[in-house]
Amino acid sequence: MTYQEKQNVVNMVSGLLITAVYALIVFQKHQQGVFDLTQDYNKWGVLFLIFIGVSVAARIVILIIFHIINAIATREEKVPEEDERDKLVKLKAIRNSYYAFTGGFVLSVIGLALGMPVHWIFIAFVVVGLIAEILENSSQIYYYRKGV
Amino acid sequence: MARNSIQNNIRRLRFEADEMTQQQLADAARVSRQTIVAIEKGNYSPSLELAFRLAFIFKTPLEEVFLYDPEQDKGKKG
Repeated sequence: MTYQEKQNVVNMVSGLLITAVYALIVFQKHQQGVFDLTQDYNKWGVLFLIFIGVSVAARIVILIIFHIINAIATREEKVPEEDERDKLVKLKAIRNSYYAFTGGFVLSVIGLALGMPVHWIFIAFVVVGLIAEILENSSQIYYYRKGV
Repeated sequence: MARNSIQNNIRRLRFEADEMTQQQLADAARVSRQTIVAIEKGNYSPSLELAFRLAFIFKTPLEEVFLYDPEQDKGKKG
């Protein structure tokens, strides 16, 4: 497995873990009555902003740990520089991710129009965002292996 | 996706260039070894710039490094 493929796997797993843990904490607080997410829509904004901060910080820490472990395991300290193929792979993967997010967003809006409760659209954002991220990373692995 | 309409002689040229390794070629072309592997396998068609760079490294014309097969290109879009 190449460095890029390993990094994509780490990104996918960390994205899943961070989202799952954060969602669990928020859901528990909601159940305990700390806040009511079915009524308080402003709270969703606050929770999303906190999530972005937590997610960025956690990913930085995870990536640093990944670099250290990878350097020890492969005895390769230098991080490979991104070349034109890496950029093309990334670009195509981002396109797939964008399609997935747009599709999910449209489906959520259709759901809303059909009478789905408003708070469901926020949950849909989280799920769709996670799916889009997984698709981006898995697309990169696919293009690295099958060619671009 | 593999673009079989463009084939290459990189492996042969490396052999003829004093058995140059993929890593040595990658360093000279300023790309990763994985990119050289992908080009050799036909899994990646390089940019015009990289193609010329490879030809320059082997001191040979571009058409000696890359070959275009119009038969394989039939029916393809773009």
